[in-house]
Formats: sequence, structure tokens, C-alpha cells
Amino acid sequence: MFVPARGWLPARGAASVRRVAEVLVVDDSKVMREMVIACLRAHDGLSFTHAASGLEALEKLSLKAFDLVVLDLNMPDIGGFEVLEFVRGQDKLRALPILVVTTRGDETSRAKALESGASAFLTKPFSPDVILAEVRTLLSPAAGSVS
Amino acid sequence: MSVLHVLFKVADAEYVVPAADVVQMESFTTATFVPGTRAHVAGLVQVRGQVVPVIDVRLRFNLPKLEPTLDSRVVIVKDGARTVALLVDAAREVVRIPPSDFHPPPEVVSRQSKGFVKSVATSGNRLVMLVDFQKIIGEEPNHAE
Amino acid sequence: MSSPVDLRGFLAGFLGEADEHLTSANANLVAVEQSLAKAETNPRAVRELFRSLHTIKGLSAMVGVEPIVEISHAMETVLRMADLASGRLSEDAADLLQKGLHAIDERVRALAKGASPQPAPESLIDAFSALEARGTSNGGGDEIVLEIDAALASKFTAGEKQQLASAAAAGKRALRVDFTPSPGRADGLSITAVRERVGRVADIVKVVPVSIPESEASPGGLCFALFVVTSAEDGVLGDAAGSDSSGIVAVAHRPRVEPARAEIERDDGSDAHRGTFVRVEVSRLDEALECLSSLVVTRFKLVRAVASLAASGVDVRDLSLIVGETGRDLRDLRAAIVRTRMVTVRSLLERVPLMVRGLTRDSDRAVKVILETGEAELDKSVAERVLPAILHLVRNAVDHGIETRSERLRAGKPEAGTLRITCSQHSNTELDLTLSDDGRGLDRDAVAKRANRPVPESDAELLDLIALPGVSTAGRVTTTSGRGLGMDIVKRIVVGDLGGALSLETEPGVGTTFTLRVPLTITIVDAFSFECGGERFVTPIGAVEEIVEIDPAHVVRVPVAHGGGRDAKMLRRRGEGLPLFGLSGLFGLKPASTGPGKALIIRRQAQQYAFEVERMLGQQEVVVRPLEDPLVRVTGVSGSTDLGDGKPTLVLDLVALCGTISSREEALA
Repeated sequence: MFVPARGWLPARGAASVRRVAEVLVVDDSKVMREMVIACLRAHDGLSFTHAASGLEALEKLSLKAFDLVVLDLNMPDIGGFEVLEFVRGQDKLRALPILVVTTRGDETSRAKALESGASAFLTKPFSPDVILAEVRTLLSPAAGSVS
Repeated sequence: MSVLHVLFKVADAEYVVPAADVVQMESFTTATFVPGTRAHVAGLVQVRGQVVPVIDVRLRFNLPKLEPTLDSRVVIVKDGARTVALLVDAAREVVRIPPSDFHPPPEVVSRQSKGFVKSVATSGNRLVMLVDFQKIIGEEPNHAE
Repeated sequence: MSSPVDLRGFLAGFLGEADEHLTSANANLVAVEQSLAKAETNPRAVRELFRSLHTIKGLSAMVGVEPIVEISHAMETVLRMADLASGRLSEDAADLLQKGLHAIDERVRALAKGASPQPAPESLIDAFSALEARGTSNGGGDEIVLEIDAALASKFTAGEKQQLASAAAAGKRALRVDFTPSPGRADGLSITAVRERVGRVADIVKVVPVSIPESEASPGGLCFALFVVTSAEDGVLGDAAGSDSSGIVAVAHRPRVEPARAEIERDDGSDAHRGTFVRVEVSRLDEALECLSSLVVTRFKLVRAVASLAASGVDVRDLSLIVGETGRDLRDLRAAIVRTRMVTVRSLLERVPLMVRGLTRDSDRAVKVILETGEAELDKSVAERVLPAILHLVRNAVDHGIETRSERLRAGKPEAGTLRITCSQHSNTELDLTLSDDGRGLDRDAVAKRANRPVPESDAELLDLIALPGVSTAGRVTTTSGRGLGMDIVKRIVVGDLGGALSLETEPGVGTTFTLRVPLTITIVDAFSFECGGERFVTPIGAVEEIVEIDPAHVVRVPVAHGGGRDAKMLRRRGEGLPLFGLSGLFGLKPASTGPGKALIIRRQAQQYAFEVERMLGQQEVVVRPLEDPLVRVTGVSGSTDLGDGKPTLVLDLVALCGTISSREEALA
């Protein structure tokens, strides 16, 4: 059973226990994953899990609840699109924010990714500011209603 | 230089055929009837798996037909492309006869055997007749009765 | 905000990964080139090349190495096209890719030295653009049967399907093995670990995630289906995937059976030509022959029509020439159709070397198989029937004929025995097959003793003895040749069913040779068997319109003027009167039973006839052996067959028989 996303920040003003947001970073390049994490360190309360392939990502998603996925589209074995399609096919994961990352020059992927259920889309190279802003948006309470 | 011959009996007369031409000799009980054949065709037998027509030599020689006995034999002779079984009263012996011993048949024998005998010879104290196999099996095209 | 992250700090990491990707890309390119040399495709290597370059492109973009981005982008485009074309890549493309990899490598090394990489070489980029415009070579896919769930199959690309199919064609197995991740797994395997383990024993074509119902074993509701290509055994594969081999499923069918590469020496020298093949049902070929027969009949009518034209004075020279040509064409057509039913003896015996290897595997004997069949061919029906006989003789030779290694050495023979099978055309209509071994030969005395008969003098007599049911030449019954066919059945098949001949030559201590003489083609029909006049007959069911019980109330006697006092009989049926003939009467046989029998309704031209027989026995397929000798060639008899009792049974042509009856009646009138 895929557990629905949880852990969005509590309503403003309330005494809050900052829950850690679980972020799954999916990219077959370790360097790439490290770069993404480095970019996102500025955001508080994030806990990162690595997945080096789409398969590993699906495996981890099936066994643990996450709040955000950063997903590279270009991966061996099972590409980002297949991961997207499979994840969105699961009832409980429909609301999970997924930030899709792809290489410059692959513009057709953008539309396709968004159709396939990506919540947001970034092209490499991106600057740290850009990805940070996207993640903040995706993890904000308002974003919780975006499917 | 003697040549081996197979000796068989039909109605007390003794006939020979070169052993080299004889494929097989078997006892005889029945032949598969084939309708529409000449009267002297007894039918078909299967010997060593080969299906062979049988000529009742008695009938061929215009002698009265007899029921097969324990002594009855089919002598299967192969000459050229044709292999035919001759149904005879008995066939037990082989004899050695030098070719020089064969002479043309005397008038009496010829008439009786209607040209089925090629030559005669003396083996020991008996007269044996060398059959003309091709004449016996006949070459005329068959027609239904 | 924290201090800006400088991504260029990741350069070292980038260099490391780029190096890795370049190494694997080079290896894959080599694999592609090797396949190209064999005129094959390598979809897997192409796909991996594509991914590698795509990754390099992304990475270099992130760290800002523009030249590498450009080169890798150009390469990636070409590779994507090749991937979509099931891995088809031209030599030009492979060449360019090699140059591209080299260019990237140069720049990566420059970076490593702290230098600035050169811009991407224009000529190279242009060349890639040109290639992209031209398109890589295209070709069709092969027709292979892939069995993948429809839902999953849609996720496969053409290239991936091609990979599975090519593997099947090459004799490897294309399989699916499933892995279900779970924290509760005793082996603690994750999908990554499984991929690595399976990757060591197989080529992984694709891994597809599948939703499954949640359970204790699958708390995640997820299972991965791994589609792989391998020569490994199920047990090994299952172990790698952390599952037992019962879950392994084959997903591709071989398009044709590859003959096992056994050690056979082909002394005939010729190789089977690699033509394209079609699978045809034998019945379709028979249909074709029937159509041909009716063409022949039509041609006869044409010949007669031409003749009557000629008789009325018309100049028919041109017509005659044409009709003559059609005659030749029909003869050739018949020969061509008959040829389609022929199978080569070589293909028939392909399994023999492997079978022999299996028989001698755990024994103290070695046997070499030599097949000298040349281009000899047999009709398929003959081939099917003679094969079990041949295999039995092979088993006999291996099990009883060939001595053990030590025995042979002691006898001064080579350690390995030889079984030689040769083929030669005996006549236009018959083929000789000989099976020759250099083993111990047959022991006449032993056979005589076992058969309780006098010692046979000739090889022919010896053959008769061993072909007696129940006589076995073995001292003990072995699992392979003790049961199953006996020598008697071999003889029944070769001589009885096929109308061929079997002979034997043997010399103690030297060896044994069996010679099978078989017809090149045979006629087989479905036939009714029945009794009449105390004899058994068969007739093709195609000619029988109906079989009816004869109700004496429906039999009408008609006095015949010239019948010599005998009445003719008619059978009243459906308002019509059919001439009714007792077959026994026709044949001059005495009826063996009284009481009403059955009538076979035959149609000849426009008239129906009824033939009364005493008892219907059954229906079976029979081999019709034509009666060749003029003494027994009669109208109404197509040939003889063996119903299993060793006695010839006549095959009746009742339609032709109707013809003789009518002409007889006309003659009497």
C-alpha cells in the first residue's frame, strides 16, 4: 500500500513540530544526486534518500512514504517516464509531488512529462536557486492540493 | 560344372528351376484372392514382406486342382523384374545338374506341358524337366474373365 | 540564503563518472562493431551507448563543459535513431561514433589536467548532422513469437523486442523472472542487488514494474518482472533473483529448430543451402495434387476434342503443339508438387548423433556417428514411418553392437566405435539406407539358442530369426533397447508397411550392416475395412457416399432377360432404385454369412450403385502398395495393403468396379 504523502508543514501560527520531509532523489549519476542535494540544503527539514535507478526508486516508494521525488528522466533500465506512469497509476501516489529533471534540448519531454503527471519540470543545467524555489513550492501546504 | 537346381513336383512329374533364381521357398496355406484374374492365379501372398502373385502350377498345366496339403509349397522365383510364386505339390530337394545334361524335351512331354518345359535332364535315375519360367508366368496383358 | 553553491566544485566527481561512461561506451561500441562484422544487430549495446552519451551530455551540461555537451548531443541523436530502428547502425555511423568518443575523451583528459577543453570539432558535428539527415539503415523486424503479457508488451520498444527475439533465434533462452521487494526478505535483496546478480548470469533486456496485490510477501504491492536473455540454467537464474526456478517463464519461441551441434563428420561435403522456408500442412499438398489430377482429366478431354476436330478435317497442328506443351507442364507440375513433400534424409537423421551421445554418456563406450546421406530425399510419409525403425537399429548398434572401450582396445580396434549411415538411390523408386557398425557382430549361436531354432546358415536366415517376435539378441534388457520396438516391428515397418526390403550382413568381431530399402513415396488413404465372402477388403472412404443397413423389405428382385435365370437386385432408397450387387457374388466367393448385410453406396458418373458386404470392420489409414505384376493387375483393385496380420489385403476401387459391371451388362444385352 502506498502511503499518501504526509508531512506538509503545519498551518501558520500553530506551534509546530517540524516534521522531516522525506525526499527521494532519483538519478543514476551519483554526482548528479549529490549536486541536487547540495542545492537543496538551504531548505530546512529535508531528509534525503538516494535511488540510483528507476527500479530502485519504485522499490523504495513501495516500501516507504515520501513527500517529494526529484526524478531524472534519463536513466537506464526504466526511464523516468515509466517511473512517472507507474507511480501515477497507483491510487495512493497520485498526490505525491514529483519534480522532473531533464537535459537541455529535450523540450518535447517537458510537455510529455507534465502530461504524464510530473508536478514540475526543470532542465539541466539549472542553477541552485531555481531548484530550490521549485522544491519550496512543491513542499508548501498550498501545494498539497496539487495532484 | 554342375549347377544347383531346385526340384519340385507337380502331379508326379518332377521339374527343376535354377536355384540362383529362387528367392524363397515356403509352405502354403492360403493366398489372398484377387477377383478378375486368370483361373490359374491363386492370389497374393506376402513373403518376407513382399507381396507376390501366386500361380497354381497344376491349373497352369491344365491339371485338376487339388486342395493344398502339408507338402504344398510356394517356390518364389525372380526373373528380371518379375517375382512370382509357383504353387506346387512338393519341393524338398536341390540337385546338381551340369548344363550339358540338358536336352530338348521329347515330343510327348512337350505336348503335355504345352511348351512350359525348356529341356529335360536325367538326375540319378529320374527324369527332370527344366521349366520355362517366363512362359509359365506369361507376358500377355491380363484381362478380366 | 546560504552561500551560492558552485556546481563547478563537482568537477572531480564529474570527471570520474564521465570516465566510467566513456569506458563502457567504448566497450559497447566494440560490441556493435563486432556484430556489424557478422551482419548482425546488437540492440542492447546500441541502447546502452545511447544512455551513456545522454548521461554524459547531462553531466557535462551541469558542470558547464560546452564542447562535450555538443559532441555528446550529436552522438546521442544518431544513437536514438539507431535504437528506434532496433539497433541497426551503419558502418559509417559506427565509425563516426568512434571518433566522437575519442573527441570527448580528449576533452575530459584536458579538463583533468586543468586545461580548458577545445571546442567541438566542426567537421565532426557536421558529419553527425549529415548522418542524422540520411537516417541509419532501416530494415524489417524478424517474425518471432514473443509471449509477453499484453499489458507489459506495450512497454517494450522495438529494440527490446528485437533483443529477445534475436536471442531466441541464436539458441539462447529469453525468460522472465520476477522479484518482489520486501523489507521482510530473508535474503535482504534489493532490486539493485538483484539486477547486479542477474546481470552476471544473463543479459537483462528490460525490467518492468508490475502492480500486484499487497500481501505479507509483497507489502509494497510491487513486483519487478525481469526480462532476460541467458544460457544459464533455471536454478542459477532463480538463485540470482532470489526466487525459485518455478517462477521462471520463457517468453520467446524459437523461429526454427537449430540442429544440435554434435560432433558429426559430414563426408558428403555439401551443406544444406540456406533457403527460406515455409511450413506447410501435408494435407494442403495433397489438395494441390488433387487439383492437378482434375487438370489432367480436363486435358484428356481437350486431347479428344482436338482429335475429333482433326477427324473432321481441321488443321490442328498448332493446337496439338499447345496441348503437347500442357502435357509436359502438367508432368513438371506434378513432379514439383511431389517434391515439396520430400524431406532430406539428412534432416531426418539430424538427431542421431545427439541421441548416440546421450546413450553413451555415462557408459564405458564411445561411438562416432558418420552420416553420408548426400542430398537423398524421401517423401514425408515414408520418412515418418521409417524413422522409428532407424532409431531402433541405432540404439541396438550402440547398446549391443559396439563393445566397451577396453574390449575394443584388446581386440586391436580403435577405442571409439563407428556407426556409419549412408544413403544411395537403388532405383527410380527406391532408396537404400545402410546402418553399419564396426562392433562385435551378431552371434548366430546365441540367437539360435534364444529362438530355440537351428543355427542359421546365411545372414538372411539370421535376419529372419532375429525378426521373430520375442527374440532379443541382448543378454539383458537395457532400458533403451530392451523395450519399445523390436526387430520384428522394424521388419514390419520397412517391409510390411512400406513395401521395402530389409537385409543383414554380419561378421563376428568385425561388425554388422543393416540395409533398408524403402520406396521414395507411398500412397496413404483413409479406408473402410469390411468382410465379404469370408475375405477382408478395404476401400477408400472418399469413394463411399454412404453406408446403409440392408432392409430385406427394401430389396426388389428384378427378373433379367439375359441374366441366365438369375435375378438382378435393386435397393429401394429414398424413392429410387439402386442396382444392388453382392460383392461376394461378383467376386465368385461364397457368402460366409446369411442375414442382411450392409450396403456401400457408390456413385459413378450419374448413377448410384449399392454393394452389399457382410460386415463392416472399421476405418483406418492404410498404405496402398500398387500391384505391379500383370498377373494381378485388374480393374477394381487399386493395390494391396497390410492390415497388420502379414497377409495382403486388397484395396478395392469400387467406382472402377461399377464400370466393369455396366460394360458387362451392355455386353450381355
